[in-house]
Amino acid sequence: MAALSELLGDLVADVDGLFLFTPSHSHYERFAEADVPTVVIAPENTLDAETFVELPLQFQNVKDRIRFGVEGAMEQSIVEAGDTILCNVGIFDGDPDSVVKVRVEENMRSGIYDLFANSRADPGVIRDVFEVAIELGKKGQKGEPVGALFIVGDAGKVMNKSRPLSYNPFEKSHVYVGDPIVNVMLKEFSRLDGAFVISDSGKIVSAYRYLEPSAEGVDIPKGLGARHMAGGAITRDTNATAIVLSESDGLVRAFKGGKIILEIDPEAY
Amino acid sequence: MGGSASTLLAEPSAYSTHSLFPLQSIGGFVDRLIRAAGIRFFGVLVILLLGLIFAYVAGTLVHRLLVRVGVPESIEGTAFERAARDFETSTVEIISWLTRYFVLGTSILAALSFAGVNYADQFWTIVFADTLPQLFVAILVLIVGVVIGDKVELLIAERFRAVKLPQVNIVPPLAKYTVFFLAALVALSQVGVTTLPLLVLLGSYMLGLIVLSAVAFRDLLRSGAAGTYLLFTQPYGIGDEIIVGQTRGVVQEFDMFVTHIESEDEEYILPNAHVFEEGVGRVR
Repeated sequence: MAALSELLGDLVADVDGLFLFTPSHSHYERFAEADVPTVVIAPENTLDAETFVELPLQFQNVKDRIRFGVEGAMEQSIVEAGDTILCNVGIFDGDPDSVVKVRVEENMRSGIYDLFANSRADPGVIRDVFEVAIELGKKGQKGEPVGALFIVGDAGKVMNKSRPLSYNPFEKSHVYVGDPIVNVMLKEFSRLDGAFVISDSGKIVSAYRYLEPSAEGVDIPKGLGARHMAGGAITRDTNATAIVLSESDGLVRAFKGGKIILEIDPEAY
Repeated sequence: MGGSASTLLAEPSAYSTHSLFPLQSIGGFVDRLIRAAGIRFFGVLVILLLGLIFAYVAGTLVHRLLVRVGVPESIEGTAFERAARDFETSTVEIISWLTRYFVLGTSILAALSFAGVNYADQFWTIVFADTLPQLFVAILVLIVGVVIGDKVELLIAERFRAVKLPQVNIVPPLAKYTVFFLAALVALSQVGVTTLPLLVLLGSYMLGLIVLSAVAFRDLLRSGAAGTYLLFTQPYGIGDEIIVGQTRGVVQEFDMFVTHIESEDEEYILPNAHVFEEGVGRVR
């Protein structure tokens, strides 16, 4: 009859690092001086941790959250392929409640971290657009499910590879995504067809844009509609990131470089 | 009431006459009172009474006058008015009460000096008679200043509503605090506080700021001024291909100070002053 702590002992044996996901202060203090390197993964470095990976979205899906953390750590050369790490992460709301052992592999690089950290647009802008898309997916437009297409970053090129469907409601305005009022405007205008074009710094350049990229070589799953195809294709032609809310299945997907990078369910947030 | 008071003072022998002629007894009481306290006391009473009446009338007049000229409508929505409303009063009410207190205070002073109270001459007249009107004016100036400051902020904010530029938001509060500052200065000088050091301080601040900005922020200011024009009129937008001097590229972004343009492999960040100097060529 083995003791219960042995279960955890097996898990903890031979790890190369400890990843703390959004730890509380006292929690961090207790493990900061552990015998393995500690990495804090949180939306903000409020704890002044030495090694820190910024988490732009509180991914509800734990797998995504861990993948993001590991990718960020790989990007910052904190860990490398072949390392084994222990993730202390909260699956249910609140404090970290579980321990997951992960082996870092080269193929874990799915581009989620890259999507936020290395896009043309500011990470904060991408996060804000994600939040608008997620909220829109949750509530829809007046209760009806709605689709939306946001092209973030490299706006100059995107504008040259698209044409207006009608007058641009954001013409000569200086509004930035992330402003609560602007988010309401975005939701209102999402009933229009076409794409929103958002610049690197988050300025809303245009709504009502018809994208005209060349669609060859775009690698997106079959079964997605024209909106996803257009969004995916423009990211191959330009350095933009596309964030698409599907009208039919209500999922938010992100494309970069013509590839689907991230898929999240707004209902889970 | 007069009857019962007089019964207390009256001698027991006159008791029966009092109950028969109460009016006469009151007259007798006042008579005796005047004789006891002297004409002075009576004068003080009259002055106080007149002051009370006059204070009430003056306050009410001020109130009506302010309402008639439309003050409550024009200051609707200012912070001071809203704060006053929270205390279940209003700016006009406060001013009219202030007037009442002022008139009452004056009449009390007059009564005191009439009564010839010695320490009143020594102390109160010196402290009060000199400062009371000034204090009154100072408080009035403060209230009016706060109200006007709020109003100016609202007006300017309304005027700028059409300008869709977040940076403009700094102007209305600036105007408000300028008015506040002026009102505070006037009020302080009213009560006799020396405001010269404050003025000197402000002046030196402004001078320092102007010198500093003229020297250090010259380019930023120039770009900012040009950028304001560019943001308002938007001669080119994101996505347009433009030529500025030797540089040619697609506009990726522009703000108050700089314009980002990107050609095949290079991104240029041009100060708006430069864009303005060189002029912009738009490629069709």
